[in-house]
Amino acid sequence: MPEIRVTPLGAGQDVGRSCILVSIAGKNVMLDCGMHMGFSDDRRFPDFSYITQSGRLTDFLDCVIISHFHLDHCGALPYFSEMVGYDGPIYMTHPTQAICPILLEDYRKIAVDKKGEANFFTSQMIKDCMKKVVAVHLHQTVQVDDELEIKAYYAGHVLGAAMFQIKVGSESVVYTGDYNMTPDRHLGAAWIDKCRPNLLITESTYATTIRDSKRCRERDFLKKVHETVERGGKVLIPVFALGRAQELCILLETFWERMNLKVPIYFSTGLTEKANHYYKLFITWTNQKIRKTFVQRNMFEFKHIKAFDRAFADNPGPMVVFATPGMLHAGQSLQIFRKWAGNEKNMVIMPGYCVQGTVGHKILSGQRKLEMEGRQVLEVKMQVEYMSFSAHADAKGIMQLVGQAEPESVLLVHGEAKKMEFLKQKIEQEFRVNCYMPANGETVVLPTSPSIPGGISLGLLKREMAQGLLPEAKRPRLLHGTLIMKDSNFRLVSSEQALKELGLAEHQLRFTCRVHLHDTRKEQETAMRVYSHLKSVLKDHCVQHLPDGSVTVESILIQAAAPSEDPATKVLLVSWTYQDEELGSYLTSLLKKGLPQAPS
Amino acid sequence: MDHECARLLPAVCAVLADPGQPVADDTCLEKLLDWFKTVTEAESSLLLLQENPCLVELLSHVPKLQDVSARVLSFSLRLAGIFAAQEDCFQYLQQAELLPGLFGAAGPLGRAVWAVPTVRSGWIQGLRSLAQHPSALRFLADHGAVDTVFSLQGDASLFVASAAGQLLVHILALSMGGRAEGHTCPRDDDWPMCAQKIVGHIEESLCSTDTPRVTQALNALTTTFGRCQSPWTEVLWEQLSPLVARLLERDPVPAPHPLVDLLLCVARSPVLGSSDRGPWETAAQALSRLAPPQAGPLALGVLKLQLCPQALRTQAFGVLLQPLACVLKATSQGSGLPGLLDGTSEDSVVLDALLSSKSSCAGLLCRTLAHLEELQPLPQHPSPWPQAPLLRAVVTILRLCDGSAAPASSVGGRLCGTLVGCVRVQRAALDFLGTLSQGMGPQEQVTQVFAVLLECLERPDSSPTVLKKAFQATLRWLLSSARTPGCSGLGPHTALFLPELFPVLQKRLCSPCWEVRDSALEFLTHLSRHWGGQADFRHMLLESEVPELTRQLLQDPESYVRASAVTAMGELSSRGLHAAPTSPEHPEAQQSLLPEFLHILSADSEGFPRRAVMQVFTEWLRGGHADVARDTERFVATVLQVVSRDLDWEVRAQGLELALVFLGQTLGQPGPHCPYTVSLPKAAPPSPLAEALGALCRVRLFEFAFRALFDCDRPVAQKSCDLLLFLRDKTATYSSLWEAGGSPDSASVEAALQRWQAGEQDQLLGDLEPEAMLAALRSVDLEGLRGTLAQGSDHVEKSPQSLLQDMLATVGILQENQADCY
Repeated sequence: MPEIRVTPLGAGQDVGRSCILVSIAGKNVMLDCGMHMGFSDDRRFPDFSYITQSGRLTDFLDCVIISHFHLDHCGALPYFSEMVGYDGPIYMTHPTQAICPILLEDYRKIAVDKKGEANFFTSQMIKDCMKKVVAVHLHQTVQVDDELEIKAYYAGHVLGAAMFQIKVGSESVVYTGDYNMTPDRHLGAAWIDKCRPNLLITESTYATTIRDSKRCRERDFLKKVHETVERGGKVLIPVFALGRAQELCILLETFWERMNLKVPIYFSTGLTEKANHYYKLFITWTNQKIRKTFVQRNMFEFKHIKAFDRAFADNPGPMVVFATPGMLHAGQSLQIFRKWAGNEKNMVIMPGYCVQGTVGHKILSGQRKLEMEGRQVLEVKMQVEYMSFSAHADAKGIMQLVGQAEPESVLLVHGEAKKMEFLKQKIEQEFRVNCYMPANGETVVLPTSPSIPGGISLGLLKREMAQGLLPEAKRPRLLHGTLIMKDSNFRLVSSEQALKELGLAEHQLRFTCRVHLHDTRKEQETAMRVYSHLKSVLKDHCVQHLPDGSVTVESILIQAAAPSEDPATKVLLVSWTYQDEELGSYLTSLLKKGLPQAPS
Repeated sequence: MDHECARLLPAVCAVLADPGQPVADDTCLEKLLDWFKTVTEAESSLLLLQENPCLVELLSHVPKLQDVSARVLSFSLRLAGIFAAQEDCFQYLQQAELLPGLFGAAGPLGRAVWAVPTVRSGWIQGLRSLAQHPSALRFLADHGAVDTVFSLQGDASLFVASAAGQLLVHILALSMGGRAEGHTCPRDDDWPMCAQKIVGHIEESLCSTDTPRVTQALNALTTTFGRCQSPWTEVLWEQLSPLVARLLERDPVPAPHPLVDLLLCVARSPVLGSSDRGPWETAAQALSRLAPPQAGPLALGVLKLQLCPQALRTQAFGVLLQPLACVLKATSQGSGLPGLLDGTSEDSVVLDALLSSKSSCAGLLCRTLAHLEELQPLPQHPSPWPQAPLLRAVVTILRLCDGSAAPASSVGGRLCGTLVGCVRVQRAALDFLGTLSQGMGPQEQVTQVFAVLLECLERPDSSPTVLKKAFQATLRWLLSSARTPGCSGLGPHTALFLPELFPVLQKRLCSPCWEVRDSALEFLTHLSRHWGGQADFRHMLLESEVPELTRQLLQDPESYVRASAVTAMGELSSRGLHAAPTSPEHPEAQQSLLPEFLHILSADSEGFPRRAVMQVFTEWLRGGHADVARDTERFVATVLQVVSRDLDWEVRAQGLELALVFLGQTLGQPGPHCPYTVSLPKAAPPSPLAEALGALCRVRLFEFAFRALFDCDRPVAQKSCDLLLFLRDKTATYSSLWEAGGSPDSASVEAALQRWQAGEQDQLLGDLEPEAMLAALRSVDLEGLRGTLAQGSDHVEKSPQSLLQDMLATVGILQENQADCY
């Protein structure tokens, strides 16, 4: 029985490192290869030893697919390809291919900076890993090999994010990665056609949430930044090099333009140029509004945002600074934070999630006295704000996508168990499909019915047409033929043609039956009585009495015989072909009821 | 446990025991367990529990909670296991009747929460920690835990099932732990009940017709023989090996992968592998019974063994060679050349696998090539090694892949159709071809190898990954052919090959794919590193457009390529190959690259090219490159000035590396205590100290290093600290000399140091005397700083106090943020 097997190694009932193994008709695919930023040991990567148990990785996996550039979806990739030893193809969209190494490099630098880690991938490994990437376009069907094909669909969420359809023969799985069903300031909404996959694997971060409009959050953000700079304060926005930073830059740039503000905005990483270059390059991946205005002004060419120099942090007066890293782990953003934390006029805005153990996490949980190196205590007087800009589909959006794709089953990943449970029930009720939510390490097995393509002979179709009935698209019609398998192909042909092609002789198959009658007369007379009876009952059929005493009705042959042991009983031997099966059955049942009394 | 943690712990336990309080972060509980593990390794668990009663309360309270969170319950199970690993603490927990409530039938076993894999996993891990002493064994027996572990071996969760298997082996080893060394009596005689039960279960599973059960048994045995080297394992193997051998009689053989793993594990075991009861017969049987995908790894494993019967090795090598033998046979009928495995009959199963489908064929060939690639460099590889036929087979495969092979039979024709354009096989073949360069081969064949490599590099439709591997294989063959005995210079093959290679390289440097341009540049760098001094090579390179194209790639839109171009140009320039000489009279007069590289260092928007420039500059300084030697001080001063402003800390760190090389050249080589080794040009003896210090001041090395000492990025500060320590040691004698004459005015330096420490970057130092610098240097507590910097910059945040504080701080504010993710 063919089946689809899904085993999450990460993102099974959690929002950590995404890594899902899918097996369709013997083809094995890894969906995402993420890293957990909350750990600094081996636990940050998925446990790949479960894959290598059955031989070499490159032999086992047919390909790896990366949905988007966030590290919880691609962060383990260089480790997997350059240290664990996967040497096969990696698929992702063009923007993801361009942006992914920047983020990986950014994170590598933070990890090494923070701890001086040796057991971490190097720059060269990131590059070598990226050389194994095959970039795909949206809606382009890519043949991984003769049997396996993949296709990317737009997912919103971040620049270059994609959902992937994975198809082997007639079986298919769609993996959404992270997606957003509502357009935001720079990206459009996710879209997929009615591809009716056997399984839809969807993220479920906001499985129970109906999110407030992102516009409200954006207004709130601008208001807070504006208020702070108006009163002469400095605003620090810790970000990762790419992604949210650009989104917030667009927001501030537009606002500064509209309000004619002169307060400087700085971007500290030195990566602005490259990041913005990519946003410009992949303009087709942004939303309609940005694309439309592109001719007059490229949204990613910022007039107000300047490169940061380390000396600027000491300048008097208000300013807004985007600095990396995003969770105040180490480096530049942490250094600026330390400088500005003591002034209540200043503000730090955390635009994303922070893992435990980072200063970002501490201040978000309300801690105001932070112990620093050498038992120093840093008192945080500046305002601390949290703004979630993460762009995931909410419950409504997920339901909408399920409706759009019309899958046979749904599997939830990238979410919390309790919330998944709620959504699972909702999906099962509304769409009458099975919904699964495996934990990490649990395997879901879905049996699938294979569809085997078959041809039909023209002769058979012509014969059907000759009967005068024209085919109708929506009304199924019964057609008889012989299914033959020749050269690994199935074909439906007429039985005559089948015999001819296969070089077989025709066999006659007859059904036989014995009917016992109580009749003391001679066999010939009994036969005569049977003839008369049938002649009177079966008026539409050709009933004949043959010279040898037997009776025929169409292909049915009836003979009377006398068993030696009981002369008062006669046996009727009835036989018929399978074409006259119905008539034969009817006739035997008729004869079993006995013959009418003969006139005396 | 320190006082502060002990103070915070009750509140944290209260939070954990309150089902209304979700735990902050999915990593917190893991980190808390890590901490408890460290604490219990250092001190008595019993004392810990007695001093912190909140822990016992937590362990007794959590299992009774109706709506307990699965994560907290799992945490409690694991925590209890950590404590109960120490026998006195185990007894203490037993007296408090806590353990049955956690691990016994009264615990989570019978409750709905057992359905959550995390809980089952916590239960197993808790028992795994707990099972360390005889009391634990009794506890396991009393509560029927072993039966539960049996059933968990088949758990729906891979993680739980695997952990259950590990636990079972651990219990078996523990129960056999009391056996005297050398005690080899048969199992039924006096093996402990627990061990007998486990072995009985394994036996039963081995006889089962249910493949997953067979797999579990085989995995358990593999773990056992891998972990335990005691004599009882020999008895166990003796008793179970007939059952294992019987698996091979079934059709199909169940669980072939775990079976191979077991056989190899037994063969590697010092107890079993060398005994008469070794697995040789079974392994031989397995080699002939298993399908090619499973027989291959077994064959490779057998050939990697140090001790193994020769007949088995021959059989194993035959299995590995079989697919390539089929390929050779199908493509070279009537050639008269020796094939592989001549005289043996063709394995129809292998042939079927090659011909049945494209994926089966590619899979088999890739595996075979990878196995042979792994085998070739090993000292125990089969001898004689069939180098010539193997080379022919790989060349044939590459030709089949690129469609240039002329098949000599119908099977060859089918292979041709199957393999044409198969990138996967091409990559594997190129990898193996590279490895085969170690053995070289007959003249004619080496020519063929270079021809096929050139075709690969030339083909317009070669994929970037294939090209990368082709470049790597080419380099290995070029290096090997230059090492041929009696060969001086380039060697005959290289001399013939290079004229054809350069046009291809030129073409690849212009490829629209950045991956290809980059691989070509990396290849060029290696080429010039090895043959830059060879007249023929130099001539051919300078005749070609390669140097000019490489220079153009310094402006490539892709930063990876720019960085590789910098490295390649740096290498070429070191050997005077970066451009054709401007005048024939002065062949050494070439246009300097220094201004161009300095421009990249100060203006490139990305780190890779800037880092590459710094690497080149450091090499140039080390090697006395002409551009640098012309005015070394000016060069160092300029570079340090540019680098000090760089936003990429790795560039700044490399600036310190360069400074260290300069220091070494001026003051003498760093001592062995210094982590950096600097090779000094022998011709330049260290100048007198005063003069040298003057040079350091002129290049503003002091200012650069002092600034770096307080860099916000730890590795920079660390490196600077090492550099300044070296400098201080080197100048100690000088310092004591002028100290006698009165202290210099170092106030301005110290003031600047303070401001830099406070994070103010704009402070500049004027021109100061070396004495003032040295005085400032002595005023800094460098040893103390080095100690602080040796710790991670997040060591405070990573401390247990910080963790406990974070867990407490998140109480109540969670609902708002918890759903968010990256």
